[in-house]
Amino acid sequence: MARPSRHPRGDRRGPAAVTKVPARSLLTDPDRPLRQGRYRSPLRDERLAAWLGAGVGVLFGACFLTGLFSHLHQNPVTWLPVPARPAGLYRITQGLHVASGIASLPVLLAKLWVVWPRLLSFPPFRHVSDVVERLGILVLVGGGIFMVFSGVANIALWYPWPFSFRAAHFWMAWVTIGALVSHVGARWTTSRRALGGWGRAGASPPRERPRPALAEADPALGTAAEGVHDGLSRRGFLLTVGAATGALTAVTVGQTVPALSPLALLAPRDPRDRPVNRTAAMAGVQAGDVAAGYVFSVEGRVERPLRLTLDELVDLPSHEARLPIACVEGWSYSAPWSGVRLRDLLVLAGAPEGAEVRVESLEQEGAFRTSFVNRAQAQDRDTLLATHLDGDVLSLDHGFPLRLIGPDRPGVNQTKWVTRLVVE
Amino acid sequence: MFWGSAAAGWAVIAWGVWGAVGQHVDTRPADLVRLVVGGILVHDLVVVPLALLGTWVVARVVPARGRRWVQAALVATAPLALFAYPMVRGFGRLPDNPTALPHHYAANLALVTSAVALAVAAVAAVDALRRRR
Repeated sequence: MARPSRHPRGDRRGPAAVTKVPARSLLTDPDRPLRQGRYRSPLRDERLAAWLGAGVGVLFGACFLTGLFSHLHQNPVTWLPVPARPAGLYRITQGLHVASGIASLPVLLAKLWVVWPRLLSFPPFRHVSDVVERLGILVLVGGGIFMVFSGVANIALWYPWPFSFRAAHFWMAWVTIGALVSHVGARWTTSRRALGGWGRAGASPPRERPRPALAEADPALGTAAEGVHDGLSRRGFLLTVGAATGALTAVTVGQTVPALSPLALLAPRDPRDRPVNRTAAMAGVQAGDVAAGYVFSVEGRVERPLRLTLDELVDLPSHEARLPIACVEGWSYSAPWSGVRLRDLLVLAGAPEGAEVRVESLEQEGAFRTSFVNRAQAQDRDTLLATHLDGDVLSLDHGFPLRLIGPDRPGVNQTKWVTRLVVE
Repeated sequence: MFWGSAAAGWAVIAWGVWGAVGQHVDTRPADLVRLVVGGILVHDLVVVPLALLGTWVVARVVPARGRRWVQAALVATAPLALFAYPMVRGFGRLPDNPTALPHHYAANLALVTSAVALAVAAVAAVDALRRRR
């Protein structure tokens, strides 16, 4: 039931003039217990909550879908092979994944700020559906905070936890998106009403519709929103959150968008440096490992197993391709690579048509010391075992003497210090 | 709608929990739950009280006419500071990889937040001029 507004629209009284509220409201109005009648905010607004919720939903949805695509790249399945083209697809999807994850930081915090008084709603449960909804919100809040925190910490190379980031981030993504689905369904009707019925046939745009009585729309959010104040308005708050999101994006997205690189002052990488994620020292690969004794081999299901020295490899026909290195952490850059085509080596070794390949590194340990090249990728004209970057011999940190580079692959699958191909 | 989406959503949550438990060697569920619950507690017991304190201080200290602009500047710069915090502190810096975390993040954060504050001040000035006309 709608409670009458204590402050008619247009009343410009300051905080000191706010009317004392009845003691009963301290229990039933979640804005009251901490405000004690001295301060009122217009931000506990269902419409604002709906807009911010829509923002979180879109950003989390984009993160989830692009994250699944990345997971598929790193954990290939035979029934859904990833495509080899377009060459920059993974660069775009993973850039979007990280950018939307970063962008969700201010939007998620703003959303939690707008709705947090619900935590104090009394009584907390009236129906079984309230219990289900509140449990879902608990999971959503915990999952959302975890996903954003762990993602931001990961790109800053900070791991203040004892578990695998990849596994925890992946499974918690399912938990979080499930809670989001549940929450969207629970708030669908009130959110659509709050947003002015967009999507409904014949509905007017929100600005032209009269705002519903907020207390009627949602008692937990209503009454305080009717007050007048000197702080940010709902629109001002929304615009500010949008500006904060834009600013955060502007100073980070240059790690994958070359035109914005000079602005990327808070990005964890600068693509102009040609960054690497794992140095030779970190991988335990020494210069001595790749010196005179280096041998490259092609084995497995082949008619003519190959064993080649580096000089013999360099003497094979070389091909150049401009391809991106696109890291799972969201940074990327394109560069001209040159080396031997993988498909030429497969022909030389007599591999069967449609062969798939496992690429192995000199690296002795690590989750990415091998990578998988599917049929489409193996046959792509630009999938190379590169010896040169930018016309220069690869540096040890970039994978000297030989690294895999192919279109539409995450950086962790562009195996460095390659020593063996196993045809499967 | 409510029960349909609740059923679908909780089925997906169950799938995530099942996967995390099934891969327990990697996910270490007890540690994972501790971090998830810790995140909620930090938000509710640290972030929210600090934000409330901030709004209370702004309401007390800043004159009414400039209050919303100060709030806007704080809302716009706080996420930048939160995001940059691990890099400013250099938690993940790797001594043998100069291409990771290559910037001077404290200086850059100061620069970016100053630019945002200046932008808010410029908008406030334009708004004040428009109101005077």
